[in-house]
Amino acid sequence: MARAWRTAALAAVIAVLLLLLLPYLWIFLTSFKTRLDALADVPVWVFTPTYDHYPEVFINKGYLPLVWNSIIVAVLSTALSLVVGAPAAYVFARFDFTGREDLFFFFLTTRMAPPISVVVPMFLLFTTLGITDKPIAVILAHTTFNLSLVVWMMRGFFNDIPREIDEAAMMDGHSQLGTFLKILIPLAAPGLAATAVLCFILSWNEFLYAFILVAFEGRTLTVGIPGLITPHGTLWGQVAAVAVVATLPILVFTFIVQRHLVRGLTFGAVKG
Amino acid sequence: MSIAFNQISKVFADGTVALDRLDLEFDRGEFIVLLGPSGSGKTTACRILAGLEQATSGVISIDGRDVTRLPPRERNMSMVFQNYALYGHKTVFDNIAYPLRVRKIGRNSIGTKVHEVARLLQIESYLDRRPSQLSGGQAQRVAVARALVWNPDICLMDEPLSNLDALLRLQTRTELKRLHSDLGHTFLFVTHDQEEAMTLGTKIAVLNEGQLVQFDIPRRIYHEPSSRFVAEFIGRPAMNIIDGEINNGMFQAAGGFQIDVENQPDGPVAMGIRPEQILVSGTQTKQTIEFELDVIELVEPDTLLFVKKGGVNMVVRVMRDMGQIERGATVHLALPHAHRHFFELADGRRRW
Repeated sequence: MARAWRTAALAAVIAVLLLLLLPYLWIFLTSFKTRLDALADVPVWVFTPTYDHYPEVFINKGYLPLVWNSIIVAVLSTALSLVVGAPAAYVFARFDFTGREDLFFFFLTTRMAPPISVVVPMFLLFTTLGITDKPIAVILAHTTFNLSLVVWMMRGFFNDIPREIDEAAMMDGHSQLGTFLKILIPLAAPGLAATAVLCFILSWNEFLYAFILVAFEGRTLTVGIPGLITPHGTLWGQVAAVAVVATLPILVFTFIVQRHLVRGLTFGAVKG
Repeated sequence: MSIAFNQISKVFADGTVALDRLDLEFDRGEFIVLLGPSGSGKTTACRILAGLEQATSGVISIDGRDVTRLPPRERNMSMVFQNYALYGHKTVFDNIAYPLRVRKIGRNSIGTKVHEVARLLQIESYLDRRPSQLSGGQAQRVAVARALVWNPDICLMDEPLSNLDALLRLQTRTELKRLHSDLGHTFLFVTHDQEEAMTLGTKIAVLNEGQLVQFDIPRRIYHEPSSRFVAEFIGRPAMNIIDGEINNGMFQAAGGFQIDVENQPDGPVAMGIRPEQILVSGTQTKQTIEFELDVIELVEPDTLLFVKKGGVNMVVRVMRDMGQIERGATVHLALPHAHRHFFELADGRRRW
């Protein structure tokens, strides 16, 4: 009986994995297919690979800097959100002040407006500041939604750390700031890692803000892909090549913080 | 050289009065116990001394220096918390060394000091472990080591033994006592357990509803409780206290109970006597009163006799086996004058 269940569970896991990995496999294969193979009526699994798409899109079409832009934007907006959001979350977790819960809820409401409704005012604002088409514009835009995520997630993690830990640190000779930096941050590291991954992925995949706020030099990968839809048809091979490269940093990043991620996502993340 | 609470009050945001004009002063080297039921303000007093809580009014002074507004790190005090509050991401060694590191003590001297205090508390073999790999008793020792390693002016302990199981609590209690007499540190220990207070304290401050009720050495707290509250709070089983009235040298209570008293003015009064100081007599004498035995509890090696006479119920603690004695039997009890306590019926203050 137990054996049957095991087999069934294994089959279920394999089914889910196939479902999740097949599109990725398809994209990966497509990035090596000629146009003819890519558009074949019956999907082709065995074919003579072409290695032209990668150099064509990244070197000749100049998409390589876009990878760099995407990394800059995702890393810096994640960092900025954590640097601003984690101390805010700590204050929400530890200090009692008038209007605390209202303010906390306000952070959530910043995510309720549809992005399309704020992107035009944002564009006008950034134009006045003269920072459109620079990565900083996208970094700030992405921070607007990542910040609320950090505040909401990190408050739960800080709540899970007993107050006595803060007090012990203060008795041991730390100031309030020292306590936060030297004791609370290391203890909340799993939570920070989990939050960072989510922020990074959200920023990395974001299209609308980036599409409106940058057009040339500051383009991110997500904005670059539509450029491969030409009047002569979509260059599927090159789109697939960009997509494959675009998923790599997330894979790497997730594997690096994986150890923390599991702990972080299962402990306290849902509290608030 | 003293630590003083001067007229310290604490009112919380919700209006709760935790401390009401507390005055308390003690010398260095003492083992002070703050004792009281929950809600008596003992923990608040400890936290205000630590600087973790701000007093609403009043002054805390150490050797005459006003420290009321100083942050915890400038007060030279350490604290042991009920849940130990060890840093989970550091090893035992690093936990103990941490206050030294924060205070920028040299690396060599840190190693020496940590090993010294670890040896004292017999935790040398766990120095490489993480707090999560320790038992409650071991974690407790680490917390104490962390609090003593840097030689603070006062070591504060907020109910540090209440998370330990009964046997371990007794052992740790004895060890704390030994630590105090060996090191001569100043301790301030918060507890609701009167037995802990009696065994550990060189002096006990009994608190009730935010006020200091009595501050004295354990012997006097036991033998001369300043109020009915202290009398009932200290000692188990609790002191027998009978409400009544003195008329012409006779104490009279409900149900026709009466007994002669010495040197007490007439008036309404509550008379108390501890269960262990009542004498059980085999035969009737001039001094004895007849009681009816209601319940008998054998708490080896003692026997507890629950007796009644009219509307008066009392507990008697006899330190021997009473043998064959049945419910409903008559027992002859003597209540020695020297061990009786008299309290005002109105406000519970002791009649001297």
